Amino acid sequence: MELVLHIAVMVCIYAILATSFNLLIGFAGLFAFGHAVFYALGAYATALTAIRLHLPFPLPLIVSVVVTGVVGLAVALPSLRIAGIYLVITTLALQVITIDVIINWTSLTGGPTGISDVPPIILFGETLSGPARFLPLAAVSALFCFLIARHVGGSPFGRALRAMRENESAAASVGKNIFYLKVSAFGMAAALASVAGSLFAYYLSYVGADSFQVSETVLILSMVVVGGTGNLVGSVLGAAFLVVLPEALAFVDLPEGTAGQLRLLIYGCVLVLFLVFRPEGLLREPRRRGPHGVGGKDAVTAAMQVATSAGGNVVLEGIGLQKRFGGIIAIDALDIRLERGRITGLVGPNGAGKTTAFNVLTGFLRADDGEIRYKGKSLRNLRPHELVRAGIARSFQDLRLFTGMSVLENVLVALPRQGGDRLLMLFLRPLLVRREDHANAGKAMAILDFIGLQERAYDLAGDLSYAEEKLLVVARLIATEADVLLFDEPLSGLDATAMQKIIELLRRLAQSSKTVCIIEHNLEAIRTACDHLVYLDEGRVLAQGDPNALMRDPELMRRYFQ
Amino acid sequence: MALFAQLLANGLGNGSFYALLGLGFGLIFATTRIVHFAYGPVYAISAYAAWLGGASLGLPLALSVALAPMAAAAAGAAIYWFGYRPFERRGMASHSVLILSLGLSIILESLLTLIFGPSIHAWPDFSPAIFIFGPVFVTSLQIAETVTLALVAGALLLFLRGTRYGKAILALSDNRDMARIVGIDTERVSLIVFALASGISAVAAVFTLLNEGATPTMGFYPVFVAFVVAVVGGLGSIPGSIAGGYLVGLVESLGLWKIPTEWQNSIAFVLLFLVLLVRPQGLFVGARR
Repeated sequence: MELVLHIAVMVCIYAILATSFNLLIGFAGLFAFGHAVFYALGAYATALTAIRLHLPFPLPLIVSVVVTGVVGLAVALPSLRIAGIYLVITTLALQVITIDVIINWTSLTGGPTGISDVPPIILFGETLSGPARFLPLAAVSALFCFLIARHVGGSPFGRALRAMRENESAAASVGKNIFYLKVSAFGMAAALASVAGSLFAYYLSYVGADSFQVSETVLILSMVVVGGTGNLVGSVLGAAFLVVLPEALAFVDLPEGTAGQLRLLIYGCVLVLFLVFRPEGLLREPRRRGPHGVGGKDAVTAAMQVATSAGGNVVLEGIGLQKRFGGIIAIDALDIRLERGRITGLVGPNGAGKTTAFNVLTGFLRADDGEIRYKGKSLRNLRPHELVRAGIARSFQDLRLFTGMSVLENVLVALPRQGGDRLLMLFLRPLLVRREDHANAGKAMAILDFIGLQERAYDLAGDLSYAEEKLLVVARLIATEADVLLFDEPLSGLDATAMQKIIELLRRLAQSSKTVCIIEHNLEAIRTACDHLVYLDEGRVLAQGDPNALMRDPELMRRYFQ
Repeated sequence: MALFAQLLANGLGNGSFYALLGLGFGLIFATTRIVHFAYGPVYAISAYAAWLGGASLGLPLALSVALAPMAAAAAGAAIYWFGYRPFERRGMASHSVLILSLGLSIILESLLTLIFGPSIHAWPDFSPAIFIFGPVFVTSLQIAETVTLALVAGALLLFLRGTRYGKAILALSDNRDMARIVGIDTERVSLIVFALASGISAVAAVFTLLNEGATPTMGFYPVFVAFVVAVVGGLGSIPGSIAGGYLVGLVESLGLWKIPTEWQNSIAFVLLFLVLLVRPQGLFVGARR
């Protein structure tokens, strides 16, 4: 019986670790291989404050959460500069260094011998020692952490994390602050993991470096993978499965000393078998529809509303923009003016600098020289998401939809001014956030209705046809409520009907006073869609004016078809 | 000064050893984009193969040492063919392959422990000759490490530049999709890369066997170092891996001048942080082209 209760306590501790790690890798897509570091910090902080400062429960737990959370924020910093394999090795390095520090800083951590005699928790006059008395606290803590993780994962913030996982630049292009998302995801995951560490220290009344090695991180990772990345209930199941499974060995007679190795072998085999036969894990990522919303027509009108006009008809203006890549000049002394209520076409041969111009205008690249004015004001050094919030948004030639999310969520995530994007608001004003999210879902639905995708609202964006994907790109861009909409090849690869449909949508955007600019190659499409044409060649504006007039210019046409 | 010279000599010896590790790991990553954690246990397998040759079969040193690269090449090739390749065919995400490599490395390591036990298997009665140059002691193994690195790197360069398969490997490391389009059999080339790179790691494993003996977990630290070396030098660059190896070896060794010994493991990783901070693409990338 004692053993069963002990296993139950361990399941609770690992459930906390696995759910918090899942927030990081399953939701945010940040493959940081150092989760045991946060676990260790929580454990040591609790042991030290409980023994040296004689702090009573729950103060050591709170200290653990705060300290580890702050460290988590710091660990996030490398992830801002590097990604993928580089993040893996950096966090593994952090893991190795942490163990080295624990082992060598003997005066603080007790070195290889660890810290013993952590005083047990005394709660309501009851001493929580032994599995039977500890289990209720462990279970309540695990449930509490799970609910927090679920609250965060299912919120607009969690949606933004998943959007970032699907495509970081696209998330920035709909106004999400990548810096904030990454830092808070790490802080959140670290703080939750430290709760597990704190419980561990109290439960065993001992902490030692051996419990927090790289293999521990791998074990937690296995639980997340086996349970299913992106599914929090799965992580709890994965934790339970991998904690219980090797304990079954206790009932088999084994030669001395092999039990530990067999346990590792089992972990490895389970992990590989799952990857081969059920890569999505025990439970697949839930199809999050987003809250139900029925949108009225006025919601679209609101989204299409243009902010009070200022600075006349020229809304966005680039003056003398220059961008070099090494020795190659992509755009050179480029002057471009985008006016309200009309569709400007940006044309020119391949390599003319069209996409570079978009990148510079939307903050994805920084111009080497020149000025960008928006409604008469000079914009300097703004990052993409800040420009989106100011009112300048763009789409990508290669679409960059959030393919693992529903169609509705693709639009929903792009809506501006979401209080639920901020972690703090989720806990301070949960009801407000929920109300707002419902209203936003209505808005998103209305936009889909306007675009003609309402029937597919709850399907995965990855399951759409190419024409539908292109429509969703338009919907997502409208949802940003930006004044200036830059479309990179919105018409390419479409048949005549689909093309006509998108041109109509662009027209309606221009009619409601949006400033629209498109990059396009198809001359016939340009003739029907654009009010004004800017012809780019070798990074400079060669000609501009009425589309029909420009297309009659034999010299331009010769260059174009060259 | 004498201490400095001694540390420098040690650093060059270790640097050669690390460069060998980084070469294999970097070659695999550059051509297949796989983070091959199972590189560690393969490294251990090769050491056990050499040990078995000497201790069980009674083969002379030179012959049993030759068993190591063969065993490693076979193990590495098998892991690619039966492990990673089916995943690639199914178009699994790169992080799934990463987790697979972790899983495989856990399995292999625990199998080795179950078979050989956790204790050290040392080469019977081996002690390297020691040469004294003024104040500096150098072992025959340190010299051998440096010489072998030069031979291996030279042979590798000749192979890559001069043979059909070598050129195919370079093409893959440059652009895998393009290589496939022009008709290169990427799977077969990847198989060769795994065999070759594992063989290179086995050379380093033999030195560890002779120095310290074989243990099931002996590959754990080397795979990390190989990873660090390859990243510091610039992933996919052969000169980069060699330079990265020496940089890590020298910094680690010379660091001992001022830093207590017990921190030696961390030095390489702190170096990694610093390099990634300044040049995330690695220090020596671009040196090849």
